[in-house]
Amino acid sequence: MKTFKIIILLLAGILVYTSAFSQIKTIELKKEGSNKIVVKVRFNNGSVVDPKGLEGITNLTASLMMEGGTADYTKSQINDMIYPMAAYYYSSTDKEVTTFTFAFPKDYMDEFYPVLKGLLLTPTFSEPDFNRVKSNTLNYLTQVIRASSDEEFSKKALEEMLFAGTPYQHMVAGTENGIESITLDDVKAHYKNYFTNNNVSIGISGDYPESFLSTLINDLKELSDKKVVLPELPDPKMPDGINVRIIEKEEALGSAIFTGYPININRSDDEFAALMIANSWMGEHRKSYSRLYQKIRETRSMNYGDYTYIEWYEQGGGNQLPLSGVPRNNNYFAIWIRPVQIGIQLKEQYPELGHIDIGHAHFAIRMALREIDLLKENGMDPDEFEKTKQFLRSYIKLYIQTPEKELGFLMDSQFYGRQNYIAELDALLENTTLEQVNAAIRKYMQTENMDIVIVTDDSEAKPLAKSLSKNTVSPMSYSNQVKDGLDAEVLAEDKNVEAYPLNIKNVEIISSDAPFVK
Amino acid sequence: MTKYIYGIVLLFIMVGCSNSEEPSKQKAVEGNILPYPINQKKLDNGLNIAVVEYPSPGLAAFQIIVRVGARDEVEKGKTGFAHFFEHMMFRGTDNYSSEEYSATMKSIGAAANANTWLDRTVYHMTGNSKMLGKMFEIESDRFMNLNYSIHDFKTEAGAVKGEYTKNHASPYAMLGEKTVEVAFTQHTYGHTTMGYWDDVVDMPNQYEYSLEFFDRFYRPEYTTILVVGDVKVDEVYQLAQKYFGNWKKGDFKSDIPIEPVQTEMRYAHVEMAGFPPYMELNYKSPAFDESDMDVAALDIISTILFSERSDLYKKLVIDEQKVRFLSGGFFFTRDPYLYQISTSVVKEEDMQYVKEEIDKALELIKTQPVDEVLLSQTKSNLKYSAAMNMDSPSSIAGSLTFYIWLTGNPESLNNIYKSYDKVTPEDIIRAAKKYFVADHLTISTISSKKEGGIK
Repeated sequence: MKTFKIIILLLAGILVYTSAFSQIKTIELKKEGSNKIVVKVRFNNGSVVDPKGLEGITNLTASLMMEGGTADYTKSQINDMIYPMAAYYYSSTDKEVTTFTFAFPKDYMDEFYPVLKGLLLTPTFSEPDFNRVKSNTLNYLTQVIRASSDEEFSKKALEEMLFAGTPYQHMVAGTENGIESITLDDVKAHYKNYFTNNNVSIGISGDYPESFLSTLINDLKELSDKKVVLPELPDPKMPDGINVRIIEKEEALGSAIFTGYPININRSDDEFAALMIANSWMGEHRKSYSRLYQKIRETRSMNYGDYTYIEWYEQGGGNQLPLSGVPRNNNYFAIWIRPVQIGIQLKEQYPELGHIDIGHAHFAIRMALREIDLLKENGMDPDEFEKTKQFLRSYIKLYIQTPEKELGFLMDSQFYGRQNYIAELDALLENTTLEQVNAAIRKYMQTENMDIVIVTDDSEAKPLAKSLSKNTVSPMSYSNQVKDGLDAEVLAEDKNVEAYPLNIKNVEIISSDAPFVK
Repeated sequence: MTKYIYGIVLLFIMVGCSNSEEPSKQKAVEGNILPYPINQKKLDNGLNIAVVEYPSPGLAAFQIIVRVGARDEVEKGKTGFAHFFEHMMFRGTDNYSSEEYSATMKSIGAAANANTWLDRTVYHMTGNSKMLGKMFEIESDRFMNLNYSIHDFKTEAGAVKGEYTKNHASPYAMLGEKTVEVAFTQHTYGHTTMGYWDDVVDMPNQYEYSLEFFDRFYRPEYTTILVVGDVKVDEVYQLAQKYFGNWKKGDFKSDIPIEPVQTEMRYAHVEMAGFPPYMELNYKSPAFDESDMDVAALDIISTILFSERSDLYKKLVIDEQKVRFLSGGFFFTRDPYLYQISTSVVKEEDMQYVKEEIDKALELIKTQPVDEVLLSQTKSNLKYSAAMNMDSPSSIAGSLTFYIWLTGNPESLNNIYKSYDKVTPEDIIRAAKKYFVADHLTISTISSKKEGGIK
């Protein structure tokens, strides 16, 4: 052990070190008595290293590694081998990292290892497997993303707009043109250049013998030894004013809205904890007690939910708790307004709304931005501050309920120069003061400059664009059923919201097949 | 081979169970898929309490399972009501307004939510186990004393409409709605949990019915409370008695229509250009019964025929690349529902070919005895898949919840895995012949054509 630089963390069972002879950073999470072993092998690459014109190649390479065979086994043989053990493995590529996860019972550790090793060191990259994975990726880019979920569509389209001209611009899955251009030789070269023993790290959890891990560390030295040069990540440009991109499609039942602007802060900054408290109060993901949810959904019944974010949240539609594997240097403050009703639909359902030109999108955006401004102006209420802080200190522990999740968050900690993000965050939250939170709000929250993407029905696009660009008063259009029971103060607040000035500079309408092409 | 069969008994215990002196505590039973004992107690009012002690320091999952769902929506115009009512459960009581309830939930620091499906409504939270008393208090209050205004009721209806809107963007959701409508002519499984759009739009007018609904189903005899995690069995029992002991028993029973036997192939189709062509073969499946060997055999068939190891997957997905994904299996439900084989086809014109290849595989499983080694490996696969997933209070609670709403008894989890172990090649042939019948099939498709056209 003398040859290792070791940091033993306070939390029992966690060991982080860099092997002196291999220079491969390793995180161990010992779980004695457990029969499940999880190995995570991470490469610092991600979609930011995709060469221009080959957007999507990192994700495609990683997918192909897991979807194909090895020097010793075909994909079908692997499927046969791992069937009785119910082992599973998958790749996950994000903007700045690719993570391979392997989970298997300890009972089958020795039988499974050759598969793990082969997939990482000797992937076959066969032509038929390549064609299959490429075709599936193109299918996702050209059809699935545009037609399955308007919410996910608007989220991805916002990133394309927000990060234009930077390595963050294109989706991790790539662009249509990028994927079309990629050849199998490109993939093989990319594997050699970006999946190397210089940018790899290992995480392991379970009750594995030391010999298993030392074999793994030793074997991973066989990866390519090319020096990886990561691209410079320029600070994303702050939008000038509010720029709205409306994506029109046929038969959308509502308007799905995502807004964002870059913020220069991430988990490596201690101030992140303070901003997290403000964000949680304003729009904690899928929580009914946050401000926007209360205002937009609970009181006004406008949609299914409304949330805010200070970092990327993977698969927000399906997950209640954040996932690991998506560490990023560049963050943005985002507001997610789930689909609100469109004009044509309201008119059909409620005769009393026959006169309206647009649905609820304009009002909802005004309401959300006004709430941000109010928070900035008034600061956080001391009592709410304490409650939110206590909530988060308990809630963040739920991120790491299983060893696999805990291991994932530990590996992300390394990305941000931390040892154990969840433990450190708890301490930071404990010591955060109201003044620090209010300072963070003033520093990072604003409503003057941002990009907004709205995916909506083609009947709504033009009138909505007109309303937004002219800053037209947009009164909330309730059905009589709801309006009759509303408190006077709600209606009074609506009056303030309907004419709330927005710094809109530009509104454009594009067709749904325009994004993600190049 | 022996490895596949033996040694799974104490499969995934992380820390041995402590020798507590609690009088009511069960011991772990050898051979169970869940290596922790399930402790159960029924209160006098019929409320069932289930507790699993699990070593998750400071953490517990708390779930309330009400055996009411879309299946109980027997009256016309009331589809989607069980789900809507789930929303209303968050609208407050005289003791806790909706805002106070939210604030209390926040103070518990829990991940909490609820969901509804055909046979059940589940309210779940995972959080600080030291707050268990508070969890009981706040949940018993709304289950026993729910009280919302007409205005709140109408307002919440808008959120449900928003949920429909969000879901309906998916062509799969559209197809799902059509499929069950075609496949079931009498039974309430003929509508989705979300309900029909017209009924969802009409929800604001159903306040009186909502009171009736609460009175019928939110009763102890419909309900189980499940707690998994860093808790003590007796403490949970005491809290349950304290907070739910006075809950009054009801006497309502839904009269669910029986679905007549299907006698002809049926079709559901969504026309959509620019979307991946998709096909489902929906056969009528049996109701869940852990001792019914057909149920266990059909589940084994799903793994043999449609997992990545299957011949069909290798042929269609890997070698021929005719389809992007292939899956098959059936939903465990209280009444007979659907065995669903689904696939995304690369080229629309290959759909008929893919259907015929699936037919061939089904025909083979009806006539040729399954290889014993493959059968044994499949049983191993099922056990390890389940055991690998049981490594947190939420995931264990999630697995048990399933069986609580199916049979009322979480032990059904252990029992169905014992049934899997007993499945023979003869069971497989019998179950396949009985359920993969052309006249019991509904073919569902998404393609650019006006009609599905698959035979």
